[in-house]
Amino acid sequence: MSEENKVYTIFDRPAGLRFVGLLQMAFGLFGLIASIGIVGAILIGGPSILDGMGYIYSVLIFVGVALPCLIIGNYVDDLRKNAVTAQVIYSLMAMGLTGFFIAVRGLHYIWTVPLFETEIVVAIGNLAALILVSQAFIILYLILNWHRVVPPDDVEVVRDRKEAKQIEMGLVPSPLSPTLMGSDGTTELSDEDSQRIMDVHKVVSVGGMAVLCSNCNGATPLSKAKDNKLQCDYCGVTLGVGNVFVPCKNHSEYLAATTCAVCGDHFCRKCLTAQTPPIDDRWTASTIFMCQTCFEGRYRPAVTTTSFVIPIDQLFSTAGARFATVGKIYRRFLGAYGGVLKAIFGWPLALLGSFGKKDDDGKRRGGGGGWGGGNLDLSGLGSSGGDADACVGIILMIVIIIIAIPIIAGILMAVGALVFIPLLFYAGLIAVTFEAVKVIRRTDFQSLDSVRIQSVVEKKQPKAKQSTLRPYTRTWEEDFFAQSLERRREERKREEERRRRRGERTRAESFWGGGRGY
Amino acid sequence: MSSAHSMIMCPVCGGQVIIENTDKVNLCSYCASPILGPDQSRNCTNHPDILATEVCHVCGDLICGECTEKRVGDYGGKLLTIVNCSKESCIAASEWARPLNEEYQSLANMDWADKSDNFILRITGIGAVVMMVFELVFILGMLYLQYFTSHSALLPKILFSGDIVIILMVLGNILAAILLQTSLQVYVHERQLVSGAILLVMLIVEVAYLLWRGLYFNLLFLEDPLFLTVLLLALLFGTLLVFVGSLGAIYVGNKKRVQMKNARKQLNLSIQHEIERL
Repeated sequence: MSEENKVYTIFDRPAGLRFVGLLQMAFGLFGLIASIGIVGAILIGGPSILDGMGYIYSVLIFVGVALPCLIIGNYVDDLRKNAVTAQVIYSLMAMGLTGFFIAVRGLHYIWTVPLFETEIVVAIGNLAALILVSQAFIILYLILNWHRVVPPDDVEVVRDRKEAKQIEMGLVPSPLSPTLMGSDGTTELSDEDSQRIMDVHKVVSVGGMAVLCSNCNGATPLSKAKDNKLQCDYCGVTLGVGNVFVPCKNHSEYLAATTCAVCGDHFCRKCLTAQTPPIDDRWTASTIFMCQTCFEGRYRPAVTTTSFVIPIDQLFSTAGARFATVGKIYRRFLGAYGGVLKAIFGWPLALLGSFGKKDDDGKRRGGGGGWGGGNLDLSGLGSSGGDADACVGIILMIVIIIIAIPIIAGILMAVGALVFIPLLFYAGLIAVTFEAVKVIRRTDFQSLDSVRIQSVVEKKQPKAKQSTLRPYTRTWEEDFFAQSLERRREERKREEERRRRRGERTRAESFWGGGRGY
Repeated sequence: MSSAHSMIMCPVCGGQVIIENTDKVNLCSYCASPILGPDQSRNCTNHPDILATEVCHVCGDLICGECTEKRVGDYGGKLLTIVNCSKESCIAASEWARPLNEEYQSLANMDWADKSDNFILRITGIGAVVMMVFELVFILGMLYLQYFTSHSALLPKILFSGDIVIILMVLGNILAAILLQTSLQVYVHERQLVSGAILLVMLIVEVAYLLWRGLYFNLLFLEDPLFLTVLLLALLFGTLLVFVGSLGAIYVGNKKRVQMKNARKQLNLSIQHEIERL
């Protein structure tokens, strides 16, 4: 399958792009806080520099920094071409403005913010330089990695994390749904009927060489074939008879289902596994079948198809990704981490809100603010006029928000890195060890018949369990997934429609019922 | 149980087979496996008294072993085997794939080594897994000794307590991971000899590094010698397995190398000729 036909998911985004998005969101958040802070400072009669221009500054920061950074930051890491383009343009503009600012004011330009009896020095020139450099890096990164951060125009990007996760799981190629089919080959059987067949079906035939059913796995003697068709003794489906009339190389009691695509020998369903087809126009099938010897790379002319060798730098990333616990730890870690950050941003804002003036009856007017704790009502702050404590408090909070929070966040991130990176490293090591054990035990080979039974028993498409120590590509599966996801989406829609109609009918019935009752 | 309108299911994958030809093979619409037509004879097209064993990938005719020509085709980097019949048009259409040199393949056949290779893989693999587990237990034990016992006074440091221990142990873990990765490669024919040799060298480095770490961390002066005893026993067990496995890999790998050399010599093939042909 060509690269253009690949279905991209949100998990295909590079880590750098995610960082760009988060960084931009952080700029947006600080812009939002700054614009709110300026309005607050004006309302309580803040620094004289804001006289007359305060509201304009606030609006400018909101429109020029907060809004675009939050919007672009939110979309840029979703593999969207427009958002990436917007990010590049915005970064260019930011670079131009900060460059101009530095040129006019110089790197050593500082702001002095009064705080109680003392004052705080903000190196605004350095801050501008930081923005300049970070935006330059963003542009450089996006341009150099354009093909990774912007998928081709005609591809679908699955951004829904749940759907994306399903796509990323990887299943064994099969056109059959994970239930037994009825004798017509198209109707899905009920659980009871399936169970009945599974209870009686046998995989060994006493009537000579047998064919293993691709639906129920039962063995039906080849002697029962008529017009080159065979009806399964157990589930009743009509099986075509394959072209080869030789027994399986490993099981003489079974007719070979087909040939191994690599070595060309004949095998039954017990000895073949399904694999991704090669990316080549000449290969028209949706899958290839391979015997265990070739799967393990032991057949010499085709030894390049599989191999144990993977680059050492991919060792931890590939194996580690399959170590489910890591993902859980990571999610837990991120959840806790997000909670801490939320609290860090929430506390000062809540405190900021509590600086509202008391009315004559002593009731607070500005209380109850904060991050998610209610709306921040600063409307009464200025009206009582010129309380110096409140003014200093507001400035203090702004200083805390702008300076202390990034520092605390930085410390938290550093601690996270110190703890989490070693955890990931060791999770990777453990995962590699598990994968190695599978390879040593040769349990990573999934035969067609075992996969089918597993799928029927578990009522779900079996996951691809090939060892990650064997490199393989399964790109065509994404098409299959996209189709099955689309089918599920349609089914959901139909189900919703059915529910809606049922609901309407119930309402209508209750209406008539109510009428009769009265 | 079935009806005349039943779907014909592919016996390989379960996909639908649409019968377009009654006297020729039809393809599964999913996996493209050839399925016989309802009126089709099961015998070779050219030899009507011989049961067919293959199907020509060009014309779809059933053919017997005598009419079969096997080729290895490069499909997007994967070398797959295809079969064509002896018709000129089919041969011409398959020219892009190289005919399988069956004589060379039989001379270079290494099925004889399957059992020994399985044994070698298990021996080296289990040994390497033991070494990996050993390293993981070792680092946990060292962290315990560093931060929860009085032995920490005997452990070296540069900047803060435990820095040297952590760095050296992480390096040991990486070494064990590389050892594990190398141990799996002894199963690949072409890499068996080289990976066996590398494994031996890696094992010597790993063991030397482990012993040096033990001495450097003053483990001989542990109050309770149980930890050290268990470590040494595990090390001995893992080392023995990997050592035996790597020697086996070198031995069998060398036999394969000689076999390949002889096969090429017998058929007057040389790698240089192959490169020139390509």
